Amino acid sequence: MSETTLRRPPEAGRTGPDDGRPDIDDGSYVTADGQVSHPVPDDFRSARSLPADPHWFKRAVFYEVLVRAFNDSSADGCGDLRGLTAKLDYLSWLGVDCLWLPPFYASPLRDGGYDISDFYQVLPEFGTVEDFVLLLDEAHQRGIRVITDLVMNHTSEAHPWFQESRRNPDGDYGDFYVWSDADERYPQARIIFVDTEESNWTFDPVRRQFYWHRFFSHQPDLNYDNPRVQEEMLSVLRFWLNLGIDGFRLDAVPYLFERDDTNCENLPETHAFLRSVRKVVEDEYPGRVLLAEANQWPTDVVEYFGDPDVGGDECHMAFHFPLMPRIFMAVRRESRFPISEIMAQTPAIPSGCQWGIFLRNHDELTLEMVSDEERDYMYGEYAKDPRMRANIGIRRRLAPLLDNDRDQLELFTAMLLSLPGSPILYYGDEIGMGDNIWLGDRDAVRTPMQWTPDRNAGFSQANPGRLYLPTIMDPIYGYQAINVESQLNSSSSLLHWTRRMIEIRKRHPAFALGDFHDLGGSNPSVLSYLREYRGHAEEGDESSPEIHDVVLCVNNLSRFPQPIELNLRQWEGWAPIELSGLVPFPPIGELPYLLTLPGHGFFWFQISPRDEVTS
Amino acid sequence: MSPTATDRAVALAGAFARWLPEQRWFAGKHRSIEAVTPVSAVPLGDVQPRLDHLVVEVRYATGEPERYQLLVGWRTALPEKLEHARIGTVGSHVGFAGLWDDELADLLLGALAGGEQHGGLVFRPEPGATITRGLPSRVVEVEQSNSSVVFDEESILKLFRRPTPGANPDVELNRALRRVGCPHVAPLLGEIGGELSGAAVSYGMLSAYAANSADGWAMATASVRDLFAEGDLKADEVGGDFAAEAHRLGAAVAAVHTDLVTALGSGQRDADGHAELSAAMIGRLADAVRTVPELARYAARLGAEFTAVADLTAPYPIQRIHGDLHLGQALRTPTGWLLIDFEGEPVKPLAERVRSDSPLRDVAGMLRSFDYAAEHLLVGEGADHQLEYRAQEWAARNRSAFTAGYTEAAGQDPGRHRTLLRAYELDKAVYEVVYEARHRPAWRWIPLRSIARMLGFEVPPPGDLPSA
Ligand SMILES: Nc1ncnc2c1ncn2[C@@H]1O[C@H](COP(=O)(O)OP(=O)(O)OP(=O)(O)O)[C@@H](O)[C@H]1O
Ligand SMILES: [Mg+2]
Repeated sequence: MSETTLRRPPEAGRTGPDDGRPDIDDGSYVTADGQVSHPVPDDFRSARSLPADPHWFKRAVFYEVLVRAFNDSSADGCGDLRGLTAKLDYLSWLGVDCLWLPPFYASPLRDGGYDISDFYQVLPEFGTVEDFVLLLDEAHQRGIRVITDLVMNHTSEAHPWFQESRRNPDGDYGDFYVWSDADERYPQARIIFVDTEESNWTFDPVRRQFYWHRFFSHQPDLNYDNPRVQEEMLSVLRFWLNLGIDGFRLDAVPYLFERDDTNCENLPETHAFLRSVRKVVEDEYPGRVLLAEANQWPTDVVEYFGDPDVGGDECHMAFHFPLMPRIFMAVRRESRFPISEIMAQTPAIPSGCQWGIFLRNHDELTLEMVSDEERDYMYGEYAKDPRMRANIGIRRRLAPLLDNDRDQLELFTAMLLSLPGSPILYYGDEIGMGDNIWLGDRDAVRTPMQWTPDRNAGFSQANPGRLYLPTIMDPIYGYQAINVESQLNSSSSLLHWTRRMIEIRKRHPAFALGDFHDLGGSNPSVLSYLREYRGHAEEGDESSPEIHDVVLCVNNLSRFPQPIELNLRQWEGWAPIELSGLVPFPPIGELPYLLTLPGHGFFWFQISPRDEVTS
Repeated sequence: MSPTATDRAVALAGAFARWLPEQRWFAGKHRSIEAVTPVSAVPLGDVQPRLDHLVVEVRYATGEPERYQLLVGWRTALPEKLEHARIGTVGSHVGFAGLWDDELADLLLGALAGGEQHGGLVFRPEPGATITRGLPSRVVEVEQSNSSVVFDEESILKLFRRPTPGANPDVELNRALRRVGCPHVAPLLGEIGGELSGAAVSYGMLSAYAANSADGWAMATASVRDLFAEGDLKADEVGGDFAAEAHRLGAAVAAVHTDLVTALGSGQRDADGHAELSAAMIGRLADAVRTVPELARYAARLGAEFTAVADLTAPYPIQRIHGDLHLGQALRTPTGWLLIDFEGEPVKPLAERVRSDSPLRDVAGMLRSFDYAAEHLLVGEGADHQLEYRAQEWAARNRSAFTAGYTEAAGQDPGRHRTLLRAYELDKAVYEVVYEARHRPAWRWIPLRSIARMLGFEVPPPGDLPSA
């Protein structure tokens, strides 16, 4: 049991001077009659809003940033919202369109903030709700959007709803969670954290009943069969949307409902609830997005986009989980088939939707969506040291996973920026930051951002001993060698390279909006695909000019130089222009188009009608 | 323009004699041609550009004549891009290799889609097949004994260059496998058949094209290259490990064997059959030793292995098999492995190729191919014990992964018939030694080394010792 217990209503001295309400930064509280009272948006200023563009997320480059890890403005050793706000110019320079912040709500922090004890309060070490509004406002000023996680499936056991629920089974919160006298119901539901939990049921000594939890036992599942729970969650959503937030990553969506004789995942009731959430967003907050986190096969995940006939009526976006381990596998095996296979199994998605794709994030590189044999393979290749493994995955950053090999870093990033979906970069990967596998759990990949070669990597003014995690200090990945400042000063750095690639991606709508066509070819080590977009320059804006944008991406997954003959008959008479230097290549003729690539090399070409090239 | 297709063919005879030796698929490159005469000539349509279907007989100064299937296009002016396909001129018309012409290739598709009949030619779509027309086409440019045209990403038409009377096993087995829904072959879409000198003959087959595929040889050799580039990692430690693919390939081959039994039945080989098989192997060995003296030192032991086959008394199951299985006959696609080219070993007469045989022959063929993939990079490199050792590790690992995959899918371990499997493998290696000695002498060391290894001899280095 965590020490964060219920707070009583604040004492008289701490209440606001004129309205008699408690200090808004204290968030929710329990009233004398056992009601949990939450702040309302009117308590706060809202951020300025960006032009309503219903499709922005389809073209956006996302950047996942951990508030704790980015920049410390208060010299307490822990990054905070004001610190992040101070770095927005950097992110805007890099070309980031949207920040994804993992949860920054009040939490006992037993699961990286995914154990929320108050949806209406910012974790005190990160700042206040007002700091968050300031971040939103400053981000919007730079054209950057911000989304955050919303954990709908469960709360922390420290949440007042749970405390009331266990204390008073017959009270207003008695049915907020899933309680049972026995621990036998729903036997087909798998246990997700197999290495820490033995059952999805845990006995509560206070209520003397078992409660249901799909994740850790300190994270009881909310009972969505209770309409009040649904309403409460919609209120949470509205609260943040009113402040100006641009959307939510909906954590662990497949598990909202439970039904007998099912595995309690992806139930129709869950989809119905998501449709009602989407309707609120659509009606009241157009242009804000819902991003589903459903670690499932693409064929199952598409269900979370909803009805294709109306362009999707559940989530706007969903993560494509199985792609990422397969990119790693393909390069190690020097074979395109791991990627070609998963792309071939990826169904079409509704017109108003987009995949979210990533190479690394704050979680381990998850291997749930690969076969046992492939998992062994990935462990063998990328996590030889058992300390590099966590749950079902690998806890490493991109650069160390790739032996800090610049060619591979570029190849992987080029694929991330050109495969279908909106790319999500992970903070620090743009400079090739390292990890610290000696840190427990998933902290290996959550160390302070490396800004300068100065003390604490320029992350914090605090005494180094007070940092929430030590900075990386080894000779290869340490902040003396790898930091933003030195990479800004060198135009050949990974940072500048990444920025240029993002820039190129943005010049060509085909990368974001185009169809994907795997070109195959007799050389199994080369993955080539065409992205083709035909439509308005601004999707959905009939007044913008009609364009036809075709991009050819060729990736050599092998360490050796490789030739490839591409069947481009369809483009006979057109000419490829290499996109980084705008060098025209020989026009496409009737015969297969021959290219040679250096080891781990790649090309991005625009394919243009010949007359456009010569003029 | 000459009135009949036969007249046109006769008029081109001289040009054929110059043109044929330049074609990849022409087997008589080193023989001197005496005459090229049409045996059959069928015009396919009478609008411009025209296409004539021909079977010509090539007579040589010495030896048996050969028959070839040709498709000759006719245009009054040859566009620049077809210039390379020119054969010769007759009057105001240019005759050229018609497959290169999109329009003429599409004409063949149209005939297939419509189930047309022209002269002795019958174009037959398979029941329920969809044939898409009007696509850009290209002639496949690989070393091939036939000619294939790919229609965009939809279908591939293979024209058998040397029409042989009798049912073509490639068509026959693909048709049977499609009928039982085998997922490991490219679905057959149609056949061009006909009659030649009174016997049924197959001229070509149209199959679904596996657009995003690469063959097993390319995949396996990428893996070997990766292994050789690593300092001292073992085959199971390097990223490019092929064992998982080999395992799936083994399962695919077993599934095809099972489906062939379902579709066409099975039989048994009795003691007489084994004696016959043994005698054939011994006969081939005797011929081989005469051609490649380096085989002599192994001949006695090889003979003993082949003789052991004659001693097998228990009946062994036989069935229709692929007959010429190696890594190059397997295509990896995003959904799994396909087997192609069920024609059997090309040098054998048709009657032999369509006979039932043990599926172990196919297994042995694939096992041999793993040895080839592992060792081909060593050829001509002089002795390097480290690399040779690691090549063998790769071969052993992938051979056993293939066998395990086969065993899992078939429910039986092919290795349990040790005598027979070894004999098939050694027989194949002997065949390879002869083939390599004739065509790629430096490569003969690959099968020679395998034979030495299998028989427990000291393994010779993978190349000729430098002459003193
Ligand atoms: N269904 C298919 N899909 C894609 N490619 C194919 C297909 N069938 C054959 N190919 C390719 O076409 C080429 C020739 O095929 P095939 O082996 O059947 O011809 P062949 O003339 O019988 O060859 P060989 O002379 O080696 O016997 C091969 O390189 C193969 O990779
Ligand atoms: Mg701070």
